[in-house]
Amino acid sequence: MSGSDSSQREASDNVASVNRSADFERLALPLLPSLYNHASWLTRNHAEAEDLVQETFSKALRAFDSFQESTNFKAWIIRILRNTFLTSRTGIATSRTVFLEDHPHVLDTTDASPTPEDNLIRLDNQAALQRALEQLEAPLREALLLCDVEEVKYKDIALILDIPIGTVMSRISRARRALRQLLQPQLGESL
Amino acid sequence: MTQAIEHLNPDTLSAFIDGELPDGEQTAIEQHLAGCHACALRVLSATQLKAATARAGRRFAPSPEALARLTAQVRQQPQATARIHSMRRLTWVGLAAALLLAVSLIGWQRIRKTNSLSAELLDQHLSTLSSGATPQVISTDRHTVKPWFQGRLPFSFNLPDAQALPPDTTLKGANLTYLKGQPAALLLFTIHKHQVSVFVTQRSGGPNLAALPGVRSGFAIHSATTRDLEIVAVSDVNPADLDALVAVLAKAQSSS
Repeated sequence: MSGSDSSQREASDNVASVNRSADFERLALPLLPSLYNHASWLTRNHAEAEDLVQETFSKALRAFDSFQESTNFKAWIIRILRNTFLTSRTGIATSRTVFLEDHPHVLDTTDASPTPEDNLIRLDNQAALQRALEQLEAPLREALLLCDVEEVKYKDIALILDIPIGTVMSRISRARRALRQLLQPQLGESL
Repeated sequence: MTQAIEHLNPDTLSAFIDGELPDGEQTAIEQHLAGCHACALRVLSATQLKAATARAGRRFAPSPEALARLTAQVRQQPQATARIHSMRRLTWVGLAAALLLAVSLIGWQRIRKTNSLSAELLDQHLSTLSSGATPQVISTDRHTVKPWFQGRLPFSFNLPDAQALPPDTTLKGANLTYLKGQPAALLLFTIHKHQVSVFVTQRSGGPNLAALPGVRSGFAIHSATTRDLEIVAVSDVNPADLDALVAVLAKAQSSS
């Protein structure tokens, strides 16, 4: 009697866990390209990126029970990816670089309201923009990529990066100004 | 209201194109842009940059192999968990099996030990039966037998008086022997002409005598344990008589 009860419970647990796994697959699989791309930006290495995504998937699945449907799954799993990265060797090395939230160097040049010429920037020069993105300070790049590439809302970026929403806003703004600056000389060359 | 808004500062402009400003602010800026060509151009430029960043930022794609591996990982999660479950179950089963094996091994060893002990007892008993085997000390007198062991055994034991023995039970003699690798007194009795071998040893942590089979190869093996001694009797006499002798011998030890 109690044996069949427990086996029934076990069976329904198994069904639940299968459903849960199906949920996970449904949510996680479409994000694979995004996660891989973001992991690559973080690690700058294909093998490491794959490892990072793989570890993220297995951590996320283990923690999936604690995931609440109301929260943004993408932000949730990117946060796992980022935290996993931060504990990796590359991540630890990266985090040693001190990032000043209000870097005077950046502040100096910030009246970067686009000049009329800026409006002529040929932004279809992908290679130039990619180089510029590479040259961005990592925290700026990370926030910008989450915003523009992953289309994550500021509040979720704040969650992922563990920073106040105001800081998210200023980092993204700074990142864009820095990009413009970086693109300027290249533009000059190309013109 | 619209006049109150100056040209957009970079942070506001940035948040504006991201659609992150509160509704009121968003509307106010739209109104400002309608009348401010410079800001409208900046917004256009920022929007273009955002779109370009989105394209340039989508830069890394996994190789087909990596994509296949990662996809398989996500797809196989249910199986993976099932595998973990069954692994866990397997582990438990394995553990249970190992435990069972260990227990049965211990049991088997114990049986083997008790078996080997009972075999040893039987062998010794049978050897006393063989013709020509005369006890090292031949005496029906406990006052002869007991002192004989002094200096030969690392322990002493009591022998009951002849009259305290059960009916038709006689002490015939004794041997010094070894049981379980320990020196033992082998007392030879007869009960109704049946030969009885009684082994007296010090208690040890060896195989439990109680675990000895009561009967082996037609011989009864009965034992008793006192505070210091173990007493095992082997005979083909009927078990009740053997018990009576063992009981008397055990009782004699406590009466010292």
